[in-house]
Amino acid sequence: MIEHLLILGDLLDLFTSPSRLIAVLIEGLAKASLYVMIASGLTLIFGLMDVINFAHGAFTMYGAYMAGGLILAVGAAEMGFAMVVVVFLLVMLTIFLVLALVGTVMEVSLIRRLYEYPPIFQILLTFGIAITLEEFMRMFVEFQGINNGQYRFGWETPRLETVPTALRGATDIGLVRFENIHVLEILLGVVTIVAIWTFLNRTRYGLFVRAGVEDEEMAAALGINVKQTFTVVFAIGSGIAGAAGVILMWDPLWSVSVPLALAVLLPAFVIVIVGGLGSFKGTVVASLLVGMIDAFGTWAFQTGAITFTGIDDMMIFGILVVMLILQPRGLFGVEGQGDHG
Amino acid sequence: MSTDAARPDAADGGALAPWVGGYLRDHAIHIAVVAFFIVYPFLYDVLVGQFGLPAEMLLPRLQTMLVVLWLGLFAMSFDFVSGYTGYLSFGHAAFFGIGAYTVVLGANGQLPLLPGGLSFMTLMLVSALLAVVVAFLIGLVSFRLSGVYFAMITLGFAEIMYVASRNWDWLTPGQSDPSDGINTPAEFNPELGVPFVDPLQVETGVFGDDAILGINFGDLLVYNENLGAIVASYFAIGAVVLVCYLAMQRIIHSPFGRVMIAIRENEERAKAIGYDTFKFKLGAFMISAFFGAVAGALLVAYRGSVNPDAAFFFLVTGFALVAAIIGGLGTLAGPFFGYIFLEGIEEFLARGGSGGGLQPFLAEFLPGGILETTIGGDLTVSGALDAFMTGHGEFYAGIVFVIFVLYVPIGILGTLRLRLGTDSVATYVSRRLGGSTGTGGSGGGGDSGAGESATAAGSVTAEGGEEDDPREGGPAEGSEEDDPSEGGPAEGGK
Repeated sequence: MIEHLLILGDLLDLFTSPSRLIAVLIEGLAKASLYVMIASGLTLIFGLMDVINFAHGAFTMYGAYMAGGLILAVGAAEMGFAMVVVVFLLVMLTIFLVLALVGTVMEVSLIRRLYEYPPIFQILLTFGIAITLEEFMRMFVEFQGINNGQYRFGWETPRLETVPTALRGATDIGLVRFENIHVLEILLGVVTIVAIWTFLNRTRYGLFVRAGVEDEEMAAALGINVKQTFTVVFAIGSGIAGAAGVILMWDPLWSVSVPLALAVLLPAFVIVIVGGLGSFKGTVVASLLVGMIDAFGTWAFQTGAITFTGIDDMMIFGILVVMLILQPRGLFGVEGQGDHG
Repeated sequence: MSTDAARPDAADGGALAPWVGGYLRDHAIHIAVVAFFIVYPFLYDVLVGQFGLPAEMLLPRLQTMLVVLWLGLFAMSFDFVSGYTGYLSFGHAAFFGIGAYTVVLGANGQLPLLPGGLSFMTLMLVSALLAVVVAFLIGLVSFRLSGVYFAMITLGFAEIMYVASRNWDWLTPGQSDPSDGINTPAEFNPELGVPFVDPLQVETGVFGDDAILGINFGDLLVYNENLGAIVASYFAIGAVVLVCYLAMQRIIHSPFGRVMIAIRENEERAKAIGYDTFKFKLGAFMISAFFGAVAGALLVAYRGSVNPDAAFFFLVTGFALVAAIIGGLGTLAGPFFGYIFLEGIEEFLARGGSGGGLQPFLAEFLPGGILETTIGGDLTVSGALDAFMTGHGEFYAGIVFVIFVLYVPIGILGTLRLRLGTDSVATYVSRRLGGSTGTGGSGGGGDSGAGESATAAGSVTAEGGEEDDPREGGPAEGSEEDDPSEGGPAEGGK
C-alpha cells in the first residue's frame, strides 16, 4: 500500500514539475529517433517486397563496427569537436553507401531467386544470412581481440575512443537537464524521417515504390521496372540499417557488440508490426510511442518505483503483444498484408 | 485411403504371425534407425579406438549425439505445429524454457502448491502440463491471427518470458544473477525410467548410472570406459524421445492430424467442410507445447542446470527452424535428422570443447612447413585454423542453411521422399520388402503423412505454376487438387 502511494507521489511529482517532465520527453524523443532509424529500413523493404529482412540487425551491427574502425582510422580522437562531427557525418554517409552496396549484392545474387516462393523462404534465407554474418563478425572480433584487450590493429572498443567530450556529458538549460548525445540523435532522427518522406513522396523513384506497394503487377504493366525498384529499395533499406548502427555506436545504452544485431532486430520488428506492416507513417508513430513508453519506464526505474531490471525490454514486447491482441493489423496496417506464410 | 481403413485389412489377413510380420515390415525403417542409434555408441567406440583421429574427425561425438536427442525432440515438436498446420510458432522456445525451468524450480522446491522432493519424472510431467496450459492461453489470443502476425505474437510472448528469466530475482533466491542461470540442488538426482518399475530407473547426468538392467556400459566400451554414464543417459533420454516421436507420429496420422494438414493446405476449405479449425489449431499447439516442454526437461535431466540463453532465447527456436528446414518441414522425423546433420557439420568444421572435427586432424597431418607458413602479418596457417575452425559453428551452420534454402528447400527427408516417389520412406521400405497387405503403401503406423511432402515440394519446385501473388501462397499452396502421390491425405481430394 505504501509502495503504491509512493509511486503515485512520484507520478504527481513528475507531472507537477514541468522541467522533469520535459527531460523525460526529450529522452523519449531521442529514443524514438533511434527506433525510427532502426526500423524504417525494415519497413521500406517489407512494404514493397514483402520480405522480412532478418539480416537487418546484422547490417546495423556491421555498420557500427565499421564506423568505429573508420573513425579511429582517420584519427578523429585527436580532432576538435566540429571536425569530429563532420567526420562522423561523412562516416555515416560512407557506411550508408557501403551497406547499400552489400544490400544490392545480396538482393541481386540471393533474394531475387526466391520471389516466386512463399514468403517464408525469404525469411529463412535472410535468417541464414544473418547468423552467418553475425558469427563471422564474432570470429573476427575474437580474432582481433577487440573486446578482450589484445588488439592487433588498434581497433579498441570504438565507442569510448571516439565520442567527443562535448557529447559525453549532460547540459542544464534552466531547470531542464538533458544528455548532449540526445540532441544529435533527435536531429538525425528528424533528418531520417524527412529524407525518407521526401524520397517516397517527392521523387520519381518514390512514386515507383508507392505504385509497387499498391499493385505490383499493375505497376509492371505500366512500364515501371519493378525488379530494379526492388533492388534500389533493398539497397536503401540496408543502407539505413547500417547508418543507424553509426549513431548506436555512440549511444551509451547501445554501444557496439555482436549481440547488438539481435538487440536491434527484435525492437525493429516490434515497431514495424505495431505501426502496421509496410506503413512508414505507422513506423514513425510506433517509434514515438515505444520511445516515450521506454523513457517513462526508465524514469520509473530510476525513481525506484519499479525495481525490475528488464523493464524496458519487457515493455517493448508487452506493447507488441497488447497491440496484436487489440489491433491485429497494427496502427496503420492494411488488411491482407503479411497474413500468409 | 486412410490409415484406419488399412489396419483392419492387414489384421484380417490371417493368424497372428502374418500380422506381426506385416507390422514389422511396415516399421522396418523405424527399427533400422533405432537399431542404428543403439549400436552407435559402441560403433563409435570401436572405430575411434581402431582408427584414431580420422574416425574422430568424421563421427559426431557421443556427447553431441546426446545433445541432439533433446534438441531434435524440440525441433520435432516445433515441426509438429509449424510444419503441419502452417502456423509458424516463432516463440516455441517458450515451451522448451518452461519445461526446463519448471523442473529446476521444482527440484529447488520453489514451485507453489507443489511439495518438495518430487521425482524427476513427476516434475517432467508437471512441466509439460504447465506448458500445455500456457500454450492454451497463448493460443487463445494468438490463433485469431495468422501469417507474420502469428509468428510475431508468439515471439512476443517468448521474449517476455526470456526477459523475465534473465531479470526476475525470485528465480534465484541465493542472490545470484538470474541471467547466469539456475542449478538443481546437489542432492537432486534426475531418474528417467518406466514408472513403478524399479530396475528400469536410470539416473541420468555425467555422474549418473552407467548401467541399465545390470548391463554396465563402461565395461561394454572397449576404449572409452569412462563414457559409461553418458551412454546410459543417451539410452534413457533416447527412449523418452522415441516414445514422444511415436506419439506425435500417431497423432499426425490420426483424423486429428489430417485436419491439421487440411488447415495447412487450405484453411478456408477445412472450415467450409465443417471443422472448427480454431480448436484444431489450438489443440495442435498445446500438443506440441507438451513435447517441447519434455525436451526442455530432458535438457535438465542431463545438465542439471539451465540458463536463459539455453532455454527461452530466440535462437533456440531459430535453430529448431534451421534443423526443420534442413531435415524437411512437415516431415516430423526430418527435423531430428536435420539436427544431427547440422550438429555434425558444426562439429566437423568448428569443433567445440574436446570435440573431434577437421582442425585437430589437419594440425596433426599437415606438414609442418605448411602450418608455419604465414598468411599475413604474424598469422600462420595453424593460427588461422585455430581461429576459424574451433568454435563458431554457427557460421558454417548459417552457410549450410542458406544453401539448403536455395537448393534443397524441402529438406533432406522431403527430397528423399520425392526421389523415391513415395509418401514416406517407411512405406517405401515396406513395399520393397514385399508387403503382402496390398494397401498400396498406406500400411500401419509407418505411413508418415501421405503426400504431404510431395505437396510441399509441388509448391516449391513447380515454379511454372506459381503465377499468383506470392503473398497469397501458404507454405504449400497451389497443389491441393493435383496431389501427385497415390495415397493423398483424406481431406486432400475434396
